[in-house]
Amino acid sequence: MFKYIVKKLLMMIPMLFLISIIVYFSLNLTGIDPINFMVSPEVLSANQDNVEALRESLGLNDPLIVQYFRWLGNCLQGDLGYSFDGTPISSLIADRLPYTFELAGYSLILSAVIGIGIGIISAIRQNGIIDYIGRVLAVLGQAVPQFLVGIILIQIFSIKLGWFPSGNRISPDATSPLADAFFHLFLPVLTLTIGMVAVLMRYARNTMLDVLNSDYIKTARSKGIPEWKVYLKHGFRNAMKPVLVILVFRIPMLVGGSVVIETVFSYPGIGLTMTNAITSMDYPVVLITTLIIAAAMLICSFMVDVLNALLDPRVRLGE
Amino acid sequence: MSNNGSAVSIKEQNKSAASSLMKKNIRKFMNNRLALFGLIVIVVMTVACVAGAIVGVDYNTPNPTILKQAPSSEHIFGTDTIGRDLFARVLYGGCYSILIGVFCSVLSSVIGAVLGAIAGYFGGKVDSLIIRISEIFQAFPQLVLVMMLVALMNKRGLGNLLFIFVVTGWMTTFRMVRNEFMSLKTETYVKVCEAFGMSKSSIMFKQILPNVMSPIIVSTTTNVAFFILQEAALSFIGLGVADSTPTWGNILNAAKSVSVVTNQWWIWVFPGLAISLFVLAINFFGDGLRDVLDPKQQ
Repeated sequence: MFKYIVKKLLMMIPMLFLISIIVYFSLNLTGIDPINFMVSPEVLSANQDNVEALRESLGLNDPLIVQYFRWLGNCLQGDLGYSFDGTPISSLIADRLPYTFELAGYSLILSAVIGIGIGIISAIRQNGIIDYIGRVLAVLGQAVPQFLVGIILIQIFSIKLGWFPSGNRISPDATSPLADAFFHLFLPVLTLTIGMVAVLMRYARNTMLDVLNSDYIKTARSKGIPEWKVYLKHGFRNAMKPVLVILVFRIPMLVGGSVVIETVFSYPGIGLTMTNAITSMDYPVVLITTLIIAAAMLICSFMVDVLNALLDPRVRLGE
Repeated sequence: MSNNGSAVSIKEQNKSAASSLMKKNIRKFMNNRLALFGLIVIVVMTVACVAGAIVGVDYNTPNPTILKQAPSSEHIFGTDTIGRDLFARVLYGGCYSILIGVFCSVLSSVIGAVLGAIAGYFGGKVDSLIIRISEIFQAFPQLVLVMMLVALMNKRGLGNLLFIFVVTGWMTTFRMVRNEFMSLKTETYVKVCEAFGMSKSSIMFKQILPNVMSPIIVSTTTNVAFFILQEAALSFIGLGVADSTPTWGNILNAAKSVSVVTNQWWIWVFPGLAISLFVLAINFFGDGLRDVLDPKQQ
């Protein structure tokens, strides 16, 4: 098992390297000249020689491959470069990344609790009220675009009722930062959760139904074990394994979703940073944000592999 | 007489068996009310959108005298922020959105199926090479990859979006087809075909592939919904199709402004309803198809 994990971990390094090469070189194909962001056009046309010297000193005339390795070396030493407006990218990321972690993390926890909870209950009380509500919710959650759910929530909770702010992370005049953060996070987290719950609930329900129909549950019942114990100890524990895999498997969807949702709520996370960087052609930032998200994806798929191997020994032996 | 009859009968029997299976499947599908509802909604909405486009409703001329008008008998969905008829825009947008969904899901299924067939059938180095490629694509969330490519091409056109969706959308079909091929290639009928010296491509595509068709059809159907939602999300954040082309997502882009969300509900409710209803219908239809074509997948 240990060997398998190490092997999978080591395989992530060349993948990340390859992805960084692809992203770096393809972004260079856009033909954006960083000089244009540093010097105004009039100065540029007047001082052609100085600009050429500047290029030379910045190393922009070196072959692309040299530039790439210089950039990689800097990144590995913690210097992520500067955005076109002069902000160090490392401090930008340090500011924004925790916000996205907050958003995605709370959504993940909340959707796991709600999704699995409703899924299990609706499997136990088939065709009960919760089952129906859950099914309607699942169908709607999969059909209504996530950003539209966000807009509807803004319309109801922040414009009509005025309970929650419609965007941003924190108000400038907040008295208690914690409560303020909670208010700002509530709607975006709820939006992401609704999308995740839809899928998770359906899956948890079906898995639990499968488990409840299996022979060992009948055996447990015939031995006279109380119903709640049958559900929790025998049913729940066995149904959880595949559901957990699906949960981790869905994290990429969560990350993709949070990119859009951050725009809806103008929530200053990595997703919004990236969207803005793309529209303003700020490619040093695009580069780093893309790599961060790709690394997050790789870690997720690594976790899925390890989880699978833990739960199913055949996967390990097959490798 | 009897002699003659039996000569024909094997073919006839096969045919009638096939047609009775077909009949049974159609009956099974018809009994599934939700799936039938889905099919009807899909057909009605598609026909309406295409008819609107053929009649040539005016979706693009701003009329400054009728800005932001609420729904009335003249403009049944109201007008948008620069005075264009919203009903016409939703119809036209439907054509583009449905086109994007269908085109991308069909083409990405074809690519996924072909690559999956090759990887699964040949195995070994070819297999691991194609798997690596798909893993690289999978390392990015699709949305991010799309955004990066939009940044790359520096232009927001319909063609770009179609290309990007197809390039980034084939992995799930690929995985499924590959796994099916891995298990099917050990079957006796494949060995028999190989022993007869049949060419590899005809074994792959004429003999094995038909057995994998059902799940491919089902996933292609549900993918239509996925691509429509994806396009809407991208256009909403302003990285999808150019503004001049109306799609459901592009129309919804107006809802980025809080004043529209607050004061002009019809501008976002109607296109939102159109997307949700269509996606809902496709999901119901896809579930029904799965019950009929692929019973073990439930």
